[in-house]
Amino acid sequence: MASETVGNCSSHDPLLDIDSSDSSSVIKSDEYLELQFRVFRLTFLLTFFSVGIAGFFWGIQASASLLVGALSGIFYFRLLARGVGKLGTSSKIVGKVQLLVPVILVLVSSRFPQLDLIPALLGFLLYKPALIIQFLSMP
Amino acid sequence: MDSITTAASVVAAGLAVGLGAIGPGIGQGSAAQGAVEGIARQPEAEGKIRGTLLLSFAFMESLTIYGLVVALVLLFANPFAG
Repeated sequence: MASETVGNCSSHDPLLDIDSSDSSSVIKSDEYLELQFRVFRLTFLLTFFSVGIAGFFWGIQASASLLVGALSGIFYFRLLARGVGKLGTSSKIVGKVQLLVPVILVLVSSRFPQLDLIPALLGFLLYKPALIIQFLSMP
Repeated sequence: MDSITTAASVVAAGLAVGLGAIGPGIGQGSAAQGAVEGIARQPEAEGKIRGTLLLSFAFMESLTIYGLVVALVLLFANPFAG
């Protein structure tokens, strides 16, 4: 009788059902990954248009600086997303490694004369409009 | 660049990073605390909570980045250097 009760509990309790919790965690991580991909797609789209416009109006140097900045912004956001993804599971804090990306960007663009500082910084911040669009489109 | 400008730039760079990191640091800590509590209470909403946390972290950390950029420009590309 007791074993029958235990068996019934284990078959109906969703907290004890290993298969359903696995599938729900896959759905959760899929949702998070999908959000990241949407932001990356929007950022790449904005980068494409901004690099084209900058190349048309301000020349190839500003365009290249904008592209380098945008790529480092995407890398920064990827590192931040990885830190947030680890929070609560394998880490208790969000790391600050991603803050090295703008530091390296400013250092590189101030050392190399082929890159301009202002377009590189504006390119780095191109992930923000994508985030704002994503934030506004969230249900 | 004369010594007074150099000293003022270094002090300003330190203040920009230090003061600029206080607010986002407090905000990120409380946001992460709330998110972890929310995930623990409602594990089925983990994806949504993590997504919202990521977006709010990106907005908060940009304030730190602004201070960092001002400090780095003062140190490595100082516009006041004669």
